[in-house]
Amino acid sequence: MEKIGYQDVNQEVVQRCKGGDHRAQYELYKLYAKAMFNVSMRITNDYAEAEDVLQEAFVSAFKNLHSYKGEASFGSWLKKIVINAAINAVRKRRSELVPMDERTVANVPDEVTEDDAEWQVEQVRRAIQMLPDGYRVVLSLYLLEGYDHAEIGEVLGISESTSKSQYSRARKKLLEILKEPQFVA
Amino acid sequence: MKDRLEKFVQDNREEFDVFEPRTELWQQICQELPQKSPEKEAKVIKVSFGDRASFSADYFFMRVAAAIVLLVGCGLTLFLMKQQTLDTAGTLAANQSITTEAPEGIEAVAPELPEIEAYYASQIEEKKTELSEYDLKVLGLDEHQLVDKELADLDSSYAALKKQLYTAPNTDEIIDAMVQNLWLRTKVLNRQLEILQRLQQNQQEKEPTQEPQNDDTTNV
Repeated sequence: MEKIGYQDVNQEVVQRCKGGDHRAQYELYKLYAKAMFNVSMRITNDYAEAEDVLQEAFVSAFKNLHSYKGEASFGSWLKKIVINAAINAVRKRRSELVPMDERTVANVPDEVTEDDAEWQVEQVRRAIQMLPDGYRVVLSLYLLEGYDHAEIGEVLGISESTSKSQYSRARKKLLEILKEPQFVA
Repeated sequence: MKDRLEKFVQDNREEFDVFEPRTELWQQICQELPQKSPEKEAKVIKVSFGDRASFSADYFFMRVAAAIVLLVGCGLTLFLMKQQTLDTAGTLAANQSITTEAPEGIEAVAPELPEIEAYYASQIEEKKTELSEYDLKVLGLDEHQLVDKELADLDSSYAALKKQLYTAPNTDEIIDAMVQNLWLRTKVLNRQLEILQRLQQNQQEKEPTQEPQNDDTTNV
């Protein structure tokens, strides 16, 4: 997440955006589009959907910029909008997002023996993409977006402990996938 | 055990962002954003830059408020106009049927008045010319003068009503009274015409018998 110093840099641009300045809006877009697109990608796991989410999120952010009071960095404010939009998109697509039912949980063995095999970023990234929606969303939010379980619980409408257990299951599943033959480098 | 994955991701965080949106996406986003002219942009920037951010917010609020006022105004005008046209359409239809049958309870609004006046004026004029024709032929001039006086009274009260129309809040009632007034005049004239007609008829019937009567009297 961005630090306060970063926010100060953006404050001027954000202020201009509030006035409807398209160039300022483009500046912010350029600055955040890639990061936000990857956030959206990780949650939706679908390129076209991730783009729709990104578009919706930016439009909504620029239209509702007046509600951004600067209490958090612009980046994390925007990220929250992207995450919410992405989660909504996934929910629309699949009704059984989170909490996961027992059936999926049963598929995951309790014990995953850790080995010291070297990971490649690409491996881990693709392994995350292979996780079912519910696992992928919680794991991405926790590992990559830097959300804590309280925040994840809030954004997904689940309890903090559900988020925790969901994450640990997701993590086990991920390690399991990483051990599959096609992932072993 | 937990740390290894977290640490791995943290260390390689940047490399996880591998996707890029299409460059055209900004154009699509742009199209959905409200358009603003460069002049206005410059204005807002300058003002909001000065000392207080709240001023730009106020400025924005003012614009929104102005837009809302304008919208509400337009909406109200349209609504009232629609209602009025409906109203006048109703009274027009009512007038047309009523003037030929029973003119009681005419409800009119101000824009209708010239039309009503013109209608009654022509009616009154017609009746008056008819009357003046009789006037020459028939006796009973006294009564006719009475009618003239009554008409003059109605005329003055009509003028008073018309003056009130510009100041009184309830125009409907006054217009009602005015129409009633006009109608009363036609009625007075009609009555007079009827009387004269009957008189004439009586005279015409009597005329053939009048001579013998006269003869009788002379004979007597």
